[in-house]
Amino acid sequence: MIKSVFFGQVLRLVRRELRSGLKGFGVFLACLFLGVFAISALGSFTASAKSGLLADAGALLGGDLELRLAHRELQAEQRRFLDARGSLSHVMTMRTMAADMAGDNRMLIELKAVDQAYPLYGELGILPAMELKQALAAEEDFGALVERGFLERLGVKVGDRVRVGEATFRVRGVLTAEPDRSVRAFTLGPRFLISQAGLAATELVKPGSLVNHRYRLKLPDREQVDNLRQELQIAFPEAGWRLRTWREAAPRVRFFLDRMNQNLTLIGLCALLVGGLGVAGAVRGYLAGKTFHIATMKCLGASGPLIFTAYLLQVLLLGLLGAAGGLVCGAAVPFLLAWLLGDRLPVPLAPSIHLEVLLVAALFGLLIALAFSLNALGIARRVPPGVLFRGYSPTGRTGPGKGIQAAIGLVVLALGLLAVLTSTDKQLALWFIAGAALCFALFRFAAAGVIRLSRALPSPPLPSLRLGLGNIHRRGSPAGSALFSLGLGLTALVVVVLVQANLDDLVTETVPQKAPAFFFLDIQGHQVADFAETAQSLPGVSKVERYPTLRGRITAIDGISVDEADIDPEVQWAVRGDRYLSYAGEMPPETMITSGNWWPTDYAGPPRISLTADVAKGFGIGVDDTLTVNVLGREITGTIASLREVDWSTLDLNFAIIFAPGTLEQAPQTHIASIHVPPAQEEEVYRVMTGKFPNVSAIGTREVLQNVSRTLERIGAAFRGMAAVALLTGFLVLAGAVSADQHRRIQDAVIFKICGATRWNILTAFAAEFLLLGIIAGLISALVGSLAAMGILKGLMDTSFRLHPGAILATLLVGIVLTLGLGLLGTWKALGHKPAELLRRE
Amino acid sequence: MTEPMVEINDLHLSLVGGAGTVNILRGIDLQVARGETISIVGPSGAGKTTLLMALSGLESPSAGQVHVAGRDLTALGEDQLARFRRQHVGIVFQSFHLVPTMTALENVALPLEFAGRRDAREAARAALEKTGLAARLAHFPGELSGGEQQRVALARAFVNQPSLLLADEPTGNLDRETGDKVMDLLFDLQQKQGTTLVLVTHDASLADRCHRLIRMMDGRLAAPGEQAT
Repeated sequence: MIKSVFFGQVLRLVRRELRSGLKGFGVFLACLFLGVFAISALGSFTASAKSGLLADAGALLGGDLELRLAHRELQAEQRRFLDARGSLSHVMTMRTMAADMAGDNRMLIELKAVDQAYPLYGELGILPAMELKQALAAEEDFGALVERGFLERLGVKVGDRVRVGEATFRVRGVLTAEPDRSVRAFTLGPRFLISQAGLAATELVKPGSLVNHRYRLKLPDREQVDNLRQELQIAFPEAGWRLRTWREAAPRVRFFLDRMNQNLTLIGLCALLVGGLGVAGAVRGYLAGKTFHIATMKCLGASGPLIFTAYLLQVLLLGLLGAAGGLVCGAAVPFLLAWLLGDRLPVPLAPSIHLEVLLVAALFGLLIALAFSLNALGIARRVPPGVLFRGYSPTGRTGPGKGIQAAIGLVVLALGLLAVLTSTDKQLALWFIAGAALCFALFRFAAAGVIRLSRALPSPPLPSLRLGLGNIHRRGSPAGSALFSLGLGLTALVVVVLVQANLDDLVTETVPQKAPAFFFLDIQGHQVADFAETAQSLPGVSKVERYPTLRGRITAIDGISVDEADIDPEVQWAVRGDRYLSYAGEMPPETMITSGNWWPTDYAGPPRISLTADVAKGFGIGVDDTLTVNVLGREITGTIASLREVDWSTLDLNFAIIFAPGTLEQAPQTHIASIHVPPAQEEEVYRVMTGKFPNVSAIGTREVLQNVSRTLERIGAAFRGMAAVALLTGFLVLAGAVSADQHRRIQDAVIFKICGATRWNILTAFAAEFLLLGIIAGLISALVGSLAAMGILKGLMDTSFRLHPGAILATLLVGIVLTLGLGLLGTWKALGHKPAELLRRE
Repeated sequence: MTEPMVEINDLHLSLVGGAGTVNILRGIDLQVARGETISIVGPSGAGKTTLLMALSGLESPSAGQVHVAGRDLTALGEDQLARFRRQHVGIVFQSFHLVPTMTALENVALPLEFAGRRDAREAARAALEKTGLAARLAHFPGELSGGEQQRVALARAFVNQPSLLLADEPTGNLDRETGDKVMDLLFDLQQKQGTTLVLVTHDASLADRCHRLIRMMDGRLAAPGEQAT
């Protein structure tokens, strides 16, 4: 009964309060909207992309089940087994060179040879429209379909003839879509699609050639795929193939999407945290304006809990409103992207509403709203009715009370838990929480320090500067909020800018100076001597490195199957598929052995392996442990003889696994070589080498790096976008803080005028205050952001860190311009007020 | 004959509001000699406060002339008026108009700081000591009683040693006893500094303490020149 009366009173009060509208809650709503929007938009996009991938899984994989083999085809018995279970399609892929008929232009292509059954799922996009069979048919030449980039770069058109290996192909059309390649991953050259008969005519497939065989099976019932997988593993345990079902289609893309989502969500969360300051400022300002109102209600018998509950309910309702706006817009993003970009998106998108994503975003929003408003609500609860009898309201020295402080702690804990539980990388989430907590503590400490320092500093001789400095430490000054909000927003921006600038450095500056200009793949054994001689004879060539190479897959680590072994995610790549292996008698130059010893050059004993130290650490093995590698279907177990430290960033030719002589020499193999040559001579080297060795694939480092750079740029744009949301939120919070302070500023300006201040005096006083705040916020952000970026780059990404003064200076400028601009905008309004207007109202 | 501190000729002031033009001052002529104290009384809405604001340059007349300390205020711009105020005028309000986020000392130092005085804080401290608030220098207005706040306002008004003090119902928010103490202080400072005083009040006894009493009615002076006892 008492409870229902209480809640009746609360609801009545809430209804009356909300009757006056949402005035003063603009920043509150905008901050929650932006943060929740960022998180829900990201989550919805990722979930829709993953749904799209799953919906297209059959087409993406090319079948319900895929078996991948390097270098070799299925054995007859294996083929019969699969043929009996569904429709089978065989696709072969390799990288090789194509040339125009004059032999003037050559380029690396991603060659794909398909059989009659291809594609099992989906349809190819061909321009002009024609049947695949017709496009690839052999007439006087074999037919080929190519990506548009091929035509542009080789200077040919549809209908022209081109050479690949020993065969001639007529380009019959342009390939606009491949169902099993709808995820546009990183490629080294444009697609060149031919028939398997066409591939045979090229004579490129030789023992040891780097050819991938993919066998796709379409089942009568795709749900039976897991049973078939088990059957295959039992029937052919030593097959050495890699199996994937439609459920695992595009695992790298999904991994990448999850990773991007995780990282971007953390920046989104950062925006929401900054927005929390706006929430706090708005609630504080709103309740400060209600001080006399609350005091009056208390005088009339309202209890503290009644006041607290009524205003808490209002905050929650408004929080829901802001979050709902963010959720609606966030949920609409995948639909909007699919509508606007459609096929141009790098992943297939199946837009739908993902309730769990929206629930998480809403929870984040509400918890932030609660965490940042409870303090002000607690203080409001304790407003003494006595303020009615004084001319001025208290300036918020009283605390919220222990109960509320405990509640704030619980809400913050819930926020942290939610961040960790919804994160795919718990460790990263924990780091983020620690970083965010540190940032908050740092900025709070810095804000308090700056305020204290401004109080302790001797008075500057200039009255404006003196007043400006005084305004920073004055009671109710927005200095704390301004430093906090702008500082956190700018810090997020500095981190993102510095991380990206350093990654760009890694690709564009550091590497090319040391890296080889070209890598040559698929050099046949009989070409090795001629290749080396030709390369050495070319002007400018400073270094030619060459290694025999085979492909093999790690199957067991110290006797434990890789499926069961405990492998660090950092080196998971090493067991994900086939890896290039090599063997050498002599230790490669600049090799640093960290453990064990290199074998004698004429070693001829049982298999021994030299492994890179990082892989060994990730596998949890060392010298004298074993590694089992499947090479062309044969399991080879070698003992680890030494561990090496390899600096992969130099792009020098190197291998994670190098065998001792005596094990791999007899296996079919090709050679891989790298050539170091200055940029001016690159073209000549490319022309001569690809002309003389048409079967050898040449990969230009510069082009690859440009590709990587473009990919990084696109990823960077997404990160910068999120950082911009964080900064925009910071800007909003700052605007809110300045605007909340507007009334006080106008009153101050009037009194200043009464005391004889000119407009210039007032303008310079306020400008000095905001200039100081901007500089301080910029400086702290530059410092904290640089430290955080260094932590991320050196700690998490294990790469080098370089300070970019330009980026930092730009941040400083943004900070100063934003604060000064916003502050002066507010001051301008204050200056425009005629004192008489205000005095007359008194 | 010495030049009067205040000389007002045919002063008109009209304001345009939602309900149309309101004529607040309708042809005021007034002279106040240097060192003289005058009180202005009259019902609410008579235009007393507006006259005070016109004298301080905070309100621009629609017609007529206002000379204070030999300067024609109607010829001065906003910033020139601000400089004029900091040199010649002190103002005390009914609702004190202290900056709530500044301490008593900072409030009193304000006019001196705007005037570029290096010794602003020392002078402000001395002014507050004269008003008996030596122990309240670091207190914020919200921590002071009404009487104390008005004493801070008095210190701020007198700290520049203005030649003209304008007081707008300075005891309106205070009880009788506190009001009396504040007024004793005001007259004491006025006498010591030889300041000309224009006092707007509803309190007849307070008005009687001035040399001259002027009654205002509907924007006009009702009985100019009436001598106070």
